[in-house]
Amino acid sequence: MISLAYDPIFTDAIIYSSLLVLLSMGLTLTYLTTKVPNFAHASFATIGVYLALIASRIWESSPYVAIPIAFVISGAVALALYTFILKPLIRKGASKAIQMIATLAFDLILIALLNITADYITKNYQIISREFTLRSYDGLFMDMPMILFVAPILIIIIASTLLIILKKTKFGIAMRATIENPDLSGVVGINVRLVYGVSWFLGGGLAGIAGALMSMWFQGDPNLGALMIPSIFAASIVGGFTSIYGAIVGGILIGMSEILGTRFLAGEFGSWLIAYRPLIPLLFIVVTLLVAPRGLTGINWYRVRRLFGTRN
Amino acid sequence: MALGTEIIFIVDLLAIYAIYLIINSSLNLEFGYTGIPNFGKVLAVGVGAFVAASIPGRILANMAGIEGDYIGDNISIITQVNVWLVDNTGIGFAVFFLTLGIAAGVGAGLGLLTAYPAIRLRGDYLAITLLALGEGVRIVGNNFTPLAGGTLGVQVPDPLSWLPGELRFPVATIGLIIIAAIVLLYTERTVRSPLGRTLRAIRDNEVAAESIGKDVTRIRIKTIMIAAAIAAIGGALYAFYVGGTIAIAYDRTSWTFWPFMMILIGGLANNKGVLVGTLLFVTLRKFIIFFKDSLQPYVPFDVVWLDFLLLGVILIAVLLYRPQGIFTEKPTKTISKEGFTDKQKG
Repeated sequence: MISLAYDPIFTDAIIYSSLLVLLSMGLTLTYLTTKVPNFAHASFATIGVYLALIASRIWESSPYVAIPIAFVISGAVALALYTFILKPLIRKGASKAIQMIATLAFDLILIALLNITADYITKNYQIISREFTLRSYDGLFMDMPMILFVAPILIIIIASTLLIILKKTKFGIAMRATIENPDLSGVVGINVRLVYGVSWFLGGGLAGIAGALMSMWFQGDPNLGALMIPSIFAASIVGGFTSIYGAIVGGILIGMSEILGTRFLAGEFGSWLIAYRPLIPLLFIVVTLLVAPRGLTGINWYRVRRLFGTRN
Repeated sequence: MALGTEIIFIVDLLAIYAIYLIINSSLNLEFGYTGIPNFGKVLAVGVGAFVAASIPGRILANMAGIEGDYIGDNISIITQVNVWLVDNTGIGFAVFFLTLGIAAGVGAGLGLLTAYPAIRLRGDYLAITLLALGEGVRIVGNNFTPLAGGTLGVQVPDPLSWLPGELRFPVATIGLIIIAAIVLLYTERTVRSPLGRTLRAIRDNEVAAESIGKDVTRIRIKTIMIAAAIAAIGGALYAFYVGGTIAIAYDRTSWTFWPFMMILIGGLANNKGVLVGTLLFVTLRKFIIFFKDSLQPYVPFDVVWLDFLLLGVILIAVLLYRPQGIFTEKPTKTISKEGFTDKQKG
């Protein structure tokens, strides 16, 4: 088992899948409340990447320090997008498409600010701030990179906390009620705006954590978000876009297929295939929409089992 | 006759204006009139450019009897083709129009393919799918070298190579303006026709449109195909105008986001909005690029990001404070009552 994980491809697959799970959980959380796909979501993660760079290279401490900071800052940025742009637009009755364009515009602003930050870091501190990696700042655990253990464990902790909050606490119940029927929840005295705001903060915060973790294994760049957006949306769509469980399954599925699937296909057909890896999430989106448009969680598994005659 | 800097500036501005007019009127047909959020506009534009990159050069090299690997020896082959075209102007134009036709056909086909999985689903799913598939065009173009030379790009033959150097760009610009005018005329006539009213009906109330017997899915697919064909022509024209194609240039910001911004500033669902919004945007960007170098010494980062920042803020401000844009959509001009009664009498 351990020798398996020594093949760097498995390390890649485990870390990448963990990150996609976090990102698509956050995206699903924001989509559940406002029902608008947020195209700026991946750039929240890029903020985390740069905070990790600042923490390790400028403050000269561990990149792990950046995790809580990234949670707060990315969360605040997501909250700002909701409060100052989406909320007024929704109040004015703007269509879904207009709201989506607003998130695209916000993404453009974030990308510009991240690039400005990158330029500034390079100029003032003489630090490489594009296509950099912080692998050497990560510790070792059992002779393997620490991130390999931290990423999945952190994701298990976050996912179970989130599920406990949603199922057991009063706030979580209020949140689920708001997702189910915002008008009715408002009538019974739930502060719908607050619930929406909290889920946007959490969604952005989770993306920030994913970004801070990402920098310790993959290359960081201001345009990272733009490259990852199809994968995150594919994970969410495969998961059904309406459930946190779905996002977890979708993230693992897309992450594993992107890395292990590409490796397998490249072995079968030749290494020229590796460059086409970004097409895998697109394929997943198309197939999911054609076969089961409501995603894995929307499939009636009882009927599928009956179809194949293995009812038990 | 040497052209002054101002003339070159205006000629280039008008050419880009004409190309964006073509792309924006196709987007307006989709988004403004029919309400299809095509966040993958770059796909059709890129496909048009790839057609222009891969087909006319090969046809002409074959006709001129030029040997060699089209991608590997691209620059020398295209240079020879351009020399050959000086004496074969007619063939040059024929291949040029043939390319536009192929681009339109391939664009329409890919429009159908990309829209098909999500056309029946809610608008946001369609938007996500089109955006994601739009990213695919660059990935394929970047890696599949026979198409457009991959990361190195290829040159596109110049049907105007017989013109003296300083006249080439002004003449090309006039040609682009004529084609843009034809496209605008076509979209204007389309939206005034019964089909145009059906499109608005689908946008405003899909269920109501369906209840009076309109096949909403079919009409939406048709609209996407027509719009993709027009946008592909725009992409091919851009490739011909700049004389080359490189996959990396077909990014989401330039060919999806800017067109959306232009039609939103001008005002959705009217061609006056497209004309003015595009002009405003293209001029603003041209000036930003023009004055970029003089601003560079004063800021500690690349000025191009200031441009992105400014445009992002402008668009959000427009969406928040003037969502209808400069020109509001007006009811369609129909035949006057007198005209109608005259027709009935006659």
